[in-house]
Amino acid sequence: MASTGSNSAGGLETGLIKPSSVGGGLSKEMRHGHGRTAHNMSSSSLRKKSDLSLVSKVRCGFLRNLLANLQEIFLGTKLFVLFPAVPLAIVAQSYGFGRAWVFTLSLLGLTPLAERVSFLTEQIAFYTGSTVGGLLNATCGNATELIIALFALYKGKIDVVKFSLIGSILSNLLLVLGTSLFCGGITNLRKEQSFDRKQADVNTGLLMLGALCHLLPLMFRYAVSSGEHKVSPLPTLTLSRICSIVMLVAYVAYLFFQLKTHRQLFESQVEDDDNDDVVSEDEAVIGFPNALAWLVGMTIVIAILSEYVVGTIEAASESWSLSVSFISIIVLPIVGNAAEHAGAIIFALKNKLDITLGVSLGSATQISMFVVPLSILVAWIMGIQMDLDFQLLETGALVMSILLVAFILQDGSSHYLKGFILLLAYIVIGACFFVLGGRSDLDNGVNANAILATSNAVMGQ
Amino acid sequence: MASTTYDAVEASYVVLLKEEGGRELSKEVGLLQGRKPHMTSSMSLRTKSALSLSSRVSSSFLRNVCINLQEVFGTKLALLFPAVPLAVAAQCYGFGHAWVFTLSLLGLIPLAERLSFLTEQISFYTGPTVSGLLNATCGNAPELIIAIFALQKGCIDLVKFSLVGSILSNLLLVLGTSLFCGGVANLGQEQLYNRKQTDANMSLLLMSALSHVLLLMFRYVVNYGEHDVLTFPTLTLSRVGSLVMLTAYIAFIFFQLKTHRQFFESREVNGDDDNVEFGDEAVIGIASAFAWLIGATLVIAVLSEYIVGTIEEASESWGLSVSFISIILLPTVGNAPEHAGAVIFAVKNKLDITLGVSLGSATQISMFVVPLSVIVAWVMGIEMDLDFKTLETSSLAFSILLTAFALQDGASHYFKGLILLLAYIVIASCFFVFKTPNGNISMLIATPT
Repeated sequence: MASTGSNSAGGLETGLIKPSSVGGGLSKEMRHGHGRTAHNMSSSSLRKKSDLSLVSKVRCGFLRNLLANLQEIFLGTKLFVLFPAVPLAIVAQSYGFGRAWVFTLSLLGLTPLAERVSFLTEQIAFYTGSTVGGLLNATCGNATELIIALFALYKGKIDVVKFSLIGSILSNLLLVLGTSLFCGGITNLRKEQSFDRKQADVNTGLLMLGALCHLLPLMFRYAVSSGEHKVSPLPTLTLSRICSIVMLVAYVAYLFFQLKTHRQLFESQVEDDDNDDVVSEDEAVIGFPNALAWLVGMTIVIAILSEYVVGTIEAASESWSLSVSFISIIVLPIVGNAAEHAGAIIFALKNKLDITLGVSLGSATQISMFVVPLSILVAWIMGIQMDLDFQLLETGALVMSILLVAFILQDGSSHYLKGFILLLAYIVIGACFFVLGGRSDLDNGVNANAILATSNAVMGQ
Repeated sequence: MASTTYDAVEASYVVLLKEEGGRELSKEVGLLQGRKPHMTSSMSLRTKSALSLSSRVSSSFLRNVCINLQEVFGTKLALLFPAVPLAVAAQCYGFGHAWVFTLSLLGLIPLAERLSFLTEQISFYTGPTVSGLLNATCGNAPELIIAIFALQKGCIDLVKFSLVGSILSNLLLVLGTSLFCGGVANLGQEQLYNRKQTDANMSLLLMSALSHVLLLMFRYVVNYGEHDVLTFPTLTLSRVGSLVMLTAYIAFIFFQLKTHRQFFESREVNGDDDNVEFGDEAVIGIASAFAWLIGATLVIAVLSEYIVGTIEEASESWGLSVSFISIILLPTVGNAPEHAGAVIFAVKNKLDITLGVSLGSATQISMFVVPLSVIVAWVMGIEMDLDFKTLETSSLAFSILLTAFALQDGASHYFKGLILLLAYIVIASCFFVFKTPNGNISMLIATPT
């Protein structure tokens, strides 16, 4: 599969993995590759070209192809050092190691896998059209979060689902964006740092809609419990499901807007005037069936690790004496978003804020408008009563963060103070959830039910 | 002290000041690096005293003292200075407490203005960075001193009320009146300002709103039973939040004085006439400026103590609640000089200075004075947290959002000012109606939940 072509390109490229050439090549990639979102762009900054010269010496054609394939997939990322965590996690689980170990190893193993999934979807996008590719990227961009959410749902840990999704949105909005703008601002102190406001506006608009959808069930519950309205059955669930459908409709409209009618808003207008190592990266590295097979395989591995993560989170919380809410809101998303995070910072350093914003805002939008409502609908199908009411503190933190980000991204330019403020806001929120977990022996499954019961009791009065 | 040359310059200045005081002053801003809009604004209230009288005094020492005194008291607000000894007298001879309160409040007005004059004088002798820091710290010294005295007496609620009130008054009342008057006065003209400065201030304010809202929600969540918390960690959280806010403020100062100074210098390239030279030299020596600064601070401290001590009686005898007095009345009077300055510059269509004054003050109080009070309380062993009650926090958050959106587009008109003013009236009436039972401030203190 074009192994000779990519061979020479690869040889050329390994010499060139200095940061500047990676960035230049990537911004070019964006123009050529269809349906490729900023999200992908960013994680590809962590990729390295593997040297295929060793593999090409193998005689048997089939074997050679296989090896080349393996090398592309496993060694083609700078994060490959973390791959051993995957088998280790499985071993730790099978041989009954400490559960905190299983949790840590699974979390570490998820980091390179998340990056690889986006690599594979990108490969597949070469064979499908730009629209299908865009759709695929839009769906698989946060595959890890989605899979973890589904597993937690399956185990009935509604709180973990809610916490991890909220945490992912917060981490994308405040931590990833904050660090990127801060680092970018410090490095480009004397330069003008501007970005395309329209893309940011579309994203914050969607995020605001998402905030509204979360606020309504919450206020509903408070209004009813304080006796402002008398409602006999509590229709929070119905309301949440309707809101979820509305959110999905909004997300579909957003995809249509992004991929069809207003595509020009989302393509960064970097006029690449830098050097000319364009040749590489533009062709598929592995074949279509291969990529598909790998994608399925990766997803299964992610699913296994996610199950470990969900299953051991309470044990880990006990042995670290951190609360489950802190682990799932702060720790889980930081590790899960590590790959995107690194990419976003790299592009911010190169003063390509459009890509940075595309990554962080795009991810946040995707989680809040796609993963969250999808989880609600899946829960509905599974007969689990999950609603959009992410308790007061979480919703409040979310709404304030969205407002802060929307305000900060108003004027189409950036400086380090903006990033620093976002970071500090994340620290305050993190501290808030840190002190909230006074109790380490919080059994979430039971707790969720207890809360539901108490709130029902309150409504019943 | 160069009094002869100074005299001549002075005479011409007095004439000029009558016609176009504001114009000159804005020029001064451009010239002086460390001088913030805050300072510039209170300068508009200054009269240059004619020194001819004192220069006739033969003894040079005596003359210097006279000049000094005249300079130090050289403000249009000098009329209010008699309130200071009167307040002290009223306190000593046991007048009605309401009188002591009123007189102390009136006495604070000129002192606040003088304090900013003295820091400015000192900044002539220090470098621009030091003076910027000095200005940034002393800009709201009276608020800080009142807060510390109230803390010492254990009136945590009074501290919170007066700080929230000060932020609200800066954001809505001062800004609203200025934009309104400026909009009406410059009806035909474009009223533009530098958005970047505004943005930096507003994002800091939003962050402080986030900290307050988080604390408030925290209390609600725990009361409601959504989360089980054994120990109630509001205090820890407040202290962490305060440290983070102070860090943000330090970063802001660094941003403002070092890396992005150009955002904060008003953009008027002075193309008008050329009488530039005065106002640029120190009027009093650094030693006497320091001495006066300490003296003024002491007097402010005395008056603040009177205010804190008599506020309850004043509230009783006027039939107003303590919360109304401390949220609405205290800041309105305390901000009077800045307020006047902000309006004057808005009328002259120098919105950058107006915004610098009002937003800068609000930012300073919310990101510096508030967290500093929490930390000082911590040092003093008082349990003060960042949880300002629901009504206060939500009016604060809404005011910040309203101001943020009103200041979005870099242009102003009178309607924006009107909306802000009306918002202030609504909030004020809310606290007016919201009467706590009389004399219950001690009860309020006792409930740190």
